[in-house]
Amino acid sequence: MQDTSTAAGPEPVQPSTDSIVALSVENVQKSFGKQTALCGASFSVVQGQRVALLGPNGAGKTTLVRSICGRLKIDRGQILMFGQPIGEAGVLDRLGVVPQELAIYGDLTARENLQIFGRLHGIRGSELKDRVAWALEWVGLSDRGNHLTKTFSGGMKRRVNIACGVLHSPGLLLLDEPTVGVDPQSRQRIFDMLDELIEFGTTVVLTTHHLDEAQSRCDRIVIVDHGRVIADGTLEELIEETIGDQKHLELLIDSMQSDAIDGLIYDSVSSSYRTTIRSTQHELPMLLRQIADCGGELLDMHMHRSDLHQVFLHLTGRELRE
Amino acid sequence: MILTVVRISLLRMYHNRAELLLTFVVPLIFFSIFAWIFGSRESDGGTPRIKIAVVDLVQTEVSTQIVDNLHEVRSLRFLGEQPSGQAVTASGDETTADKPLLRSEKTAEDWVRRGLVTTAILLKPTEKPMETTSTSLNIKAEILADSYDQVAPQIISSIVQKSLAAASQSVIQSAAEQRQRAALQTADYSVAANPNSNLAMDSASLASANFPIQTSELMPSVEIRDVLGANKVNPVVAMYAAGIAVMFSLFSATTASGSLLEERENMTLERLLCSQLSIDQLLMGKWLYLTCLGITQITLMFVWGWLVFGVDLISHLGGFAIMTLVTSAAAASFALMLATLCKSRIQLGWVSTIVILVMSALGGSMVPRYLMSESVQHVGMFTFNAWALEGYSKVFWRELSIRDLNLELAVLLTSSFVMLIAARLFAVRWERT
Repeated sequence: MQDTSTAAGPEPVQPSTDSIVALSVENVQKSFGKQTALCGASFSVVQGQRVALLGPNGAGKTTLVRSICGRLKIDRGQILMFGQPIGEAGVLDRLGVVPQELAIYGDLTARENLQIFGRLHGIRGSELKDRVAWALEWVGLSDRGNHLTKTFSGGMKRRVNIACGVLHSPGLLLLDEPTVGVDPQSRQRIFDMLDELIEFGTTVVLTTHHLDEAQSRCDRIVIVDHGRVIADGTLEELIEETIGDQKHLELLIDSMQSDAIDGLIYDSVSSSYRTTIRSTQHELPMLLRQIADCGGELLDMHMHRSDLHQVFLHLTGRELRE
Repeated sequence: MILTVVRISLLRMYHNRAELLLTFVVPLIFFSIFAWIFGSRESDGGTPRIKIAVVDLVQTEVSTQIVDNLHEVRSLRFLGEQPSGQAVTASGDETTADKPLLRSEKTAEDWVRRGLVTTAILLKPTEKPMETTSTSLNIKAEILADSYDQVAPQIISSIVQKSLAAASQSVIQSAAEQRQRAALQTADYSVAANPNSNLAMDSASLASANFPIQTSELMPSVEIRDVLGANKVNPVVAMYAAGIAVMFSLFSATTASGSLLEERENMTLERLLCSQLSIDQLLMGKWLYLTCLGITQITLMFVWGWLVFGVDLISHLGGFAIMTLVTSAAAASFALMLATLCKSRIQLGWVSTIVILVMSALGGSMVPRYLMSESVQHVGMFTFNAWALEGYSKVFWRELSIRDLNLELAVLLTSSFVMLIAARLFAVRWERT
């Protein structure tokens, strides 16, 4: 017997040497009255990639997402989806949207919700039935399909919310904060689900406030601030282009004056010293020697590489949630 | 601690404008509106004027005098027809000759049946004239009543009774004077012919000439004939069913249309509009659902009325169906218009409650409109409750054909269309911006 979950799920995409651009945002500008929300935002996403869209609050992320969904008329520039402008008939049928809010009907069952959103995307008959069955299995709710979604936990609701957006096998899936307010297990589950989609060639663009998710789960990171894209690339590329591959040291030192060594910054909150070095071979022994010369006793030391958090702070000067 | 709890509640109310309005302002608004609706009779100069028509089938000097006397009564509004057949209302300045009258009993009955007048007064010659025609009116009055208005026929009956009694008294007085004169002449002749005759007998004759007729015997007859309700089983219940059903269909429709605002608040609307669904399709889908909901609700009300209270639904299925369809469509459009106009479900809740209650009060869903002053009745015609109830009244009470519903159907359909267009215009803000 054929496995319905595979049969009704997205069709596998054969790997191709030619990279197809799933989404191209070109010099998009949008103002609301005198307030400029987007001023020339540009980036593109290749098919099969998973891209994180980051930016502090008010950076223009939501405007950009709504523009991609076709819910905002942009003032200038263009947005292409699989090479076609999004305004053309049928182009947006290839887009799946998962809003941050739980945009499902709480007083309907999970199955009914899926059926409705399937119908709204033009799926009918046995195809709809198969896809709903696949989606329920995909989100791990086959046994709860006939339960009202308002009785579900936050994580389960969020999974149904995502399933409603992928029921019509979109080529590009746009998720706005897909893991907000869910526990770590549910987050893991959601990213496992997205992994499955990517295996089948679906392109995923997501916004998130979890830098660790963007860092560890996405192929590329696009950082938006003041209505434009200020950085775009892999984590390594971003680090290289901004702060370089530094090592960040946190040192717990006893019996030493706080300003004894240049470049060593005392953090009164953690009662520790911080500094950055580029080479562990040359700079670290030298630093340890300096500490000893100043009469300091090293009690503890932590070292970690540059990460997205430092890149983000460097680029925007703000924390992500500011 | 108790005072802290009180303080929390006070602060919450202070910061909640909707609650403040509902608690302190809305009751005053309601009180003012209802006081105006039901308390404005005094300023209008008394009870609403009753629309009547008169048919004088006797056409004597006395009957004309009776008609003139009736025209003097300020609480009556006379309607009649010109020779061309055009309906006219008496202005009060007409001479006896051009007072509006109806020419036949059939026309009068038709006017009552169609609701053009509340009652019609027929002045008819008595079938069996009294022996002494000079001492009786030989007129009887028949009141053709629309018993939906249960007050008017009783008022008209007493006015007509009084008017006929006055005319009767006048005739009796005149007859008595004539007899007295005749008796005096007879006595003169008798005395002249035979001065020793029995004078006592002549005295008795004179006495009888003064009070020859028992007024109770000559009291003119006034009969009330129920033109519309005579053969109906529990007909007024149909009107109550319509009144309640229309009001609750409005409440249900506005409550259900609130789903649109709920969808907007939880971003489901955004998601819906990201699919193949357009805003036009969304609104039409909602409208269709609300219309079907209204049809089901009103039908359920009437079926219940039929099963439990004997409302004659089966004989009026055609009219009922078309009125229910159009009324539900108008209620759906109204609800959609309010939903697209309001910003939140809470706002929709209290706006719809105020508007629907006022419309229902003015439109006759709560109290029959004939009990309201004329000015309020006119204002009531701006509510679609009034038009819907008028339509149902024509179907169930007046038993008119569907063709006679043209005006009501036209008004309801037009308002439905206009409100739907308004809803579409208000929904522009949810479209692609």
